[in-house]
Amino acid sequence: MNLYVLLKMVPDTVEELNVAADGKSLDTEFLRFKVSDPDEHALEQALILKEKHGGTVTVVALEAPEVDEVLFTALAKGADRALKITTDQTRLGAFAAAQVYAAFFKAGPGQITPETLILAGSQAIDDLEGELAAYLAETLGLPYLGVVCNVARANGKLIVLKEFAGGLRGQFEIGLPAVLGVQSAEKPPRYVPVAKVRAVMKSAKIETVEVGVSEPAVRLQLERLYKPEVAGRAQMLEGTPEEIAEKIVEVLAKQGIL
Amino acid sequence: MEPVKINLFGVPGLALLWALTLIAFGVFGLRIWGLIGLLRQARYENRFDQFGRRLAHAAEHVLLQPRIFNERAIGWAHFLIFWGFVLYTACFNWSLIRGLFPFLPIPYPDEVKLVALFLEIFAVLVLAALAVAVARRLFFPPPYLHLSLDANIILGLIGLLMLSTLFGSAFRLVGEGGHSSLWTPFGTLLAGVFPGMAPNAARAWATTMWWLHMVGVLAFLVYLPYSKHLHLLASPFNVFFSQAATRPVGDLTVSGAKDDLTEGASKWQELTWKQLLNGFSCAECGRCDRACPATASGHPLQPQQIIQKIKDHMVRTGLRRTDKSAPKLVGEVVTEKEAWACLTCLSCMEQCPVWNEHVPVIVMFRRHLVSQGRVERTIQEVLGNLQRYGNSFGKSDRMRAKWTQGLPFKVKDARKEPVDVLWFTGDYAAYDPRMLEITQTTAKLFAQAGLDFGILYEAERNTGNDVRRVGEEGLFELLRDKNLDAISKVQWKNGNRVIVTTDPHSYNALKNEYGLANEGIGVKHYTELLDELISLGKLALKKKLTGKVTYHDPCYLGRYNGVYEPPRKVIAALGLELVEMPRNRAISYCCGAGGGRIWMEDTPDVKERPAENRIREAARLNGVQTLVVACPKDIAMFRDAVKTTGLEGKIVVKDIAELVAEAIEVAPVQVSG
Repeated sequence: MNLYVLLKMVPDTVEELNVAADGKSLDTEFLRFKVSDPDEHALEQALILKEKHGGTVTVVALEAPEVDEVLFTALAKGADRALKITTDQTRLGAFAAAQVYAAFFKAGPGQITPETLILAGSQAIDDLEGELAAYLAETLGLPYLGVVCNVARANGKLIVLKEFAGGLRGQFEIGLPAVLGVQSAEKPPRYVPVAKVRAVMKSAKIETVEVGVSEPAVRLQLERLYKPEVAGRAQMLEGTPEEIAEKIVEVLAKQGIL
Repeated sequence: MEPVKINLFGVPGLALLWALTLIAFGVFGLRIWGLIGLLRQARYENRFDQFGRRLAHAAEHVLLQPRIFNERAIGWAHFLIFWGFVLYTACFNWSLIRGLFPFLPIPYPDEVKLVALFLEIFAVLVLAALAVAVARRLFFPPPYLHLSLDANIILGLIGLLMLSTLFGSAFRLVGEGGHSSLWTPFGTLLAGVFPGMAPNAARAWATTMWWLHMVGVLAFLVYLPYSKHLHLLASPFNVFFSQAATRPVGDLTVSGAKDDLTEGASKWQELTWKQLLNGFSCAECGRCDRACPATASGHPLQPQQIIQKIKDHMVRTGLRRTDKSAPKLVGEVVTEKEAWACLTCLSCMEQCPVWNEHVPVIVMFRRHLVSQGRVERTIQEVLGNLQRYGNSFGKSDRMRAKWTQGLPFKVKDARKEPVDVLWFTGDYAAYDPRMLEITQTTAKLFAQAGLDFGILYEAERNTGNDVRRVGEEGLFELLRDKNLDAISKVQWKNGNRVIVTTDPHSYNALKNEYGLANEGIGVKHYTELLDELISLGKLALKKKLTGKVTYHDPCYLGRYNGVYEPPRKVIAALGLELVEMPRNRAISYCCGAGGGRIWMEDTPDVKERPAENRIREAARLNGVQTLVVACPKDIAMFRDAVKTTGLEGKIVVKDIAELVAEAIEVAPVQVSG
């Protein structure tokens, strides 16, 4: 199988996220990026498919901070090639990113063959709708399934499990080529020791590619980015019913309601 | 008497002796050669340095065997059997040479009066020792003593050698006319049992005894390298080459390694020769198993079994090459569960009379498992956190110094302002909410004592002590390099450079695995520093505390680094009465947090968690209501154990810094965050 895994960098929420002065973007001072969790599952599922059925795993990412480390880690885990598209990911919405990937697959160096399976994370913290993989499939004219939790190959086709609400699972059979949005791999993502990543950094290379989309279309503009106002805290009043009544009156008076 | 001048079914005695000697030494030599050949296939490790220190170490522990005396009854028995063995081996060789070369103008050893006396005395002492050994095996074997046929055969053989000596002496006396001799007191005594024996018959019996003895020893020689008694050949070398002879056992670095050991060992050839020598040296005494907290709590790990299994597997696959069905060393011979159960508490190594090194072997297996990505979910998560944020809590590295926010003064950033002391807090003291108040208290104590100290703020990383013991060597190196880089930026006020740590695990790595001594930086535990500050009068104690407390020695402070007294001196200075737990100092019982176990889930096999076992031990002490600890992980483990054992109200767990603060009446710290 010709497996492609699209890796996306998202802000690390271990650091507090702050809004920048422009009121429309994240403050970059302490902002750190990490690979989106479901994308790690997409990679794991791809590696499992490769181990079972052979083929190659190519990881692809757009330019973003700390992305090189993620690509090297993917290589250390067993990916065969790592490609970095020079377009900056951080300013792109899901639709625009999908256009870049579509160009990558249509005009090369990605080539859709009858054996191609493209896996991406089912969603990301800044793409909770999970639009990327769906847009990409639509643009490429390929079948798509999201919220996938298992992929197996049988008789040249894919048996794909998809999660539904209420603890239900659906089983689908789709042909190749296809695009999948992976929620979770059949096994948790593997650990790769630091020494192996370091060795790969010395021996392997990340290939940089340019795609012919000069101005990816950003369809929606963010008007305002802000933190929701903190709601008032509940206050517990204690004492006898009479005392509590007194206190209520007091509180209401203080608030200027009485 | 000339025992060689006999004729057995037409074969001259001399020829028979030569034949038996050549066969026995031949078989013995071939086997030993084979075993050494196995060691030569292993990885190289330099244990050939500092000959003098090694020799002194070996002299003490081979000749005097203090560790054997940890279990007194068998201690004396073993000691006597050992020295009997030394004497008898010398005399056997003497006797053999005299027998093989009858023209030599020397007497047989038992013809020298003083030697004969010693032989007889030791024969009786060894027989008594054997009786103790046999009785112990039959009637009151300690748990995990390997009760093998092998051991009984050996005891029988030794008995035979002693009896043949005594009876030989008796028959010779009868043969020589039955005169008693003070040089052969026991022979004389035994001779009285055969009053009517004809001198000729007695001489024949004496010759028979000589042959019985010689053949016995030769048989022993052949049997020895096939049995656990190989330990008597291998263990002196094992002691000589032990790491403890020349450097701290808290350093997992393999010195002079020619191979990359990052990925550990998946087969026996990937261990070092010294790690394999463990197996040949093991006498199956079970002291390690009896001391192991993993074993005691029901984990599928017995340190002795690890050592034995490696040996058996190596001999099976290495010497009998036809055996193709051999299972894999890691995963089958030694299971993954066994490898992960170890707390790296060092109890096994502390107890081992032949100075075997179990923990490094287990770490080699873990390294292999890590290299294959075969790690538990929780460990994987922690390792990921450590890679990314430098702490096991998965919190932002910028939050590391958040605990300082409740302090009435600002803690210096040692990278920006000159300091005398760099305080390396470690993850738990900095991030664990249970530790917040204690860490702040410690800071106040330091400030009160006028200590000019600073911290590394967000640049401090986990030292990697436990990461290394989990088997993630690459991550350990990464963390160490980042820490060393940060430490190199410290502005030292003067030449006296000191790093103080709160966490004994960090203490071990900094002290033994960071090479800081080369930079002129000394590493101290905060209990050592508190002891110093109190005894120098810098921390003035305003009131005496009263009451009985007990103290838990953290593995990485005590066994690993020998720091037993400073915390005890602090407790005494405070006015508290210290009541020791039965297991204190070197035999302190691990809390269960070490070697990365604090990050792992307990499996259902666990009967009683080590911390619960330990807290019960503390609670059983008469009049003791406080368990004093000197390790942030102990606060976490024991406070939890107090709850799970239902001992709330009976015993409280306190950090030693909290007690010092009470005595110097430091203002209570405002808890924030």
